[in-house]
Amino acid sequence: MSSALIELRDVSKTYSTAAGDFTALVNVNLKIDAGEFLGIVGKSGAGKSTLLNMLNGVDQLTSGEVIVSANGESVSVHRMSEDQLASWRGKNIGVIYQSFQLLPMLTLLENIILPMDLSNAYHPRKSKERALELLQLVEIEDHAHKLPAHISGGQQQRVAIARALANDPPILIVDEPTGSLDSVTAEHIFDVFEHLVHDKGKTIVMVTHDSGLASRFSRSLTIADGALLEQRSA
Amino acid sequence: MKTLQENLVLVDDMIAIRGVVKKFSAAAGEVTVLKSVSLTIQRGEFVSIVGKSGSGKSTLLNMVTGIDHPTDGKVVVNGTDIYTGVSESQRSKWRGKNLGIVFQFFQLLPMLTLLENVMLPMDYADLYDFDSRPQRAMELLKLVGLEKFANKLPVLVSTGQQQLAAIARAMACDPPLLVADEPTGNLDSRSADTIIQLFESFVAQGKTIVMVTHDPSLTSRTHRNVIIFDGELIDETISRALPQLRHRHLLELTKLAETRAYQPNETIVARDQRMDYFFMIRKGEVEVTLQDKQNQERSLSNLSKGEFFGEVELVRDGKSIANVRAGNQPVEAVAVPHADFIRVMNESPIAAEAVGKIASRRQAIA
Repeated sequence: MSSALIELRDVSKTYSTAAGDFTALVNVNLKIDAGEFLGIVGKSGAGKSTLLNMLNGVDQLTSGEVIVSANGESVSVHRMSEDQLASWRGKNIGVIYQSFQLLPMLTLLENIILPMDLSNAYHPRKSKERALELLQLVEIEDHAHKLPAHISGGQQQRVAIARALANDPPILIVDEPTGSLDSVTAEHIFDVFEHLVHDKGKTIVMVTHDSGLASRFSRSLTIADGALLEQRSA
Repeated sequence: MKTLQENLVLVDDMIAIRGVVKKFSAAAGEVTVLKSVSLTIQRGEFVSIVGKSGSGKSTLLNMVTGIDHPTDGKVVVNGTDIYTGVSESQRSKWRGKNLGIVFQFFQLLPMLTLLENVMLPMDYADLYDFDSRPQRAMELLKLVGLEKFANKLPVLVSTGQQQLAAIARAMACDPPLLVADEPTGNLDSRSADTIIQLFESFVAQGKTIVMVTHDPSLTSRTHRNVIIFDGELIDETISRALPQLRHRHLLELTKLAETRAYQPNETIVARDQRMDYFFMIRKGEVEVTLQDKQNQERSLSNLSKGEFFGEVELVRDGKSIANVRAGNQPVEAVAVPHADFIRVMNESPIAAEAVGKIASRRQAIA
């Protein structure tokens, strides 16, 4: 039984390509504790996104194991069936990507409600209430009835964060969240993440190519050629 | 002033944009992105809208989807005046049933499988029986060749496949109109080709498609190509007749253009008449004849939609050496003053060369 929230044990991932096998991750061992804001920094192609896809079971691993102990239940992520995995992921993991992927024809509020309705996690009347709470959490409730086109990129990313929090997952997995934002806006998005870690007890694993962000994490690791290189505490 | 014809919206019109103005407030003051734009797109047409970055093409598309609102003017889509007395939530409901939208960045929800993503619009518009939705979503994924990936999350399929899934989602509620903003802008040419083939098959089934793009390999495959420059539309007859001209010059000619209508067999230009205009054909056919040395009338060429006459080669001492008359059908032509045409040609050597080549080819046949 693992005491860490997330534990990767000797995780390797090899892709078969036309040009031969490509090893994206090599024997990765990593423990992530609850309440950490962990940054994984690496260049394009270093294995960052593959690593994230291992954590949430989106992609299969070639060898090793990923154990997640959240919501009072410890699971070996890659031993679950597709259905079990989907339901587990819905309860435990929120995802945020560089492109916000808001539906442009829906208001901000509807953008948050829609996936909640689809997962049937909340009663329709409750889901609207919950969505408004989440918009408040990311300080954008004044714009609830606007379409995404009418707010800034930074505000759109806040909505995407609110949407990821819809089912109140303990873990947030974040891929280059500020990649398409200017530096001032990026700072504000980091403030939101810090608030979620410090005040809401969330655990965040974020990958980025921007080594300048390392100081914002509670711990940062470097990944290169599929291997974790160094470990330093901020 | 708007003419009656400009204001008219017909049953066959899928989209009627009338005098649409869009202004944005910016830090440097107010910017007018659309300057009284009028455009009609008929049912079943496949139309591309092109323009440089900042020309207003995406804003124009947003006027059709209701994602943005005009400052002035009227937009009628599939018989509904979408900005007059319609609330945001009514518009949202209307959109769900009438419109499929595809964007450059696919906007698939990352936590949902492809199948679930395709089911979203059916849930939102509350169309199709609840239990039949997964099956319908699967059929749509099959249509775009993605049935094997139905239960995968978007992050695990290629960008081309993500866009195909986004198209399947756009078609979820079987809308009569599909609107696409740079749908292939983020894809390799092979994936782009797959998507255009899919669009062509939708059009063959009677759907109307309007697509913003800057890819010339796509514009050649649509029925019509609408060019927007600096917030104004270029006359399609002019851009078709003189494709080598810069957008700036095309717009200049558009503003100088007059529309002329002729009855079947009516003389448009008589020999020895002063050639004050350069003509481009919008509708119908014209016959150009020359007199040979024996004073016999000989046909030089028959010209149709998108072709022109009245260029330098048929003009001597400012007068026409040819007879031009309408064919057996009514003719509509766009006329621009000859002096302006010559001035624009002098500023555009490539266009002048192309026009010259066509003219000398015609004379060689004669």
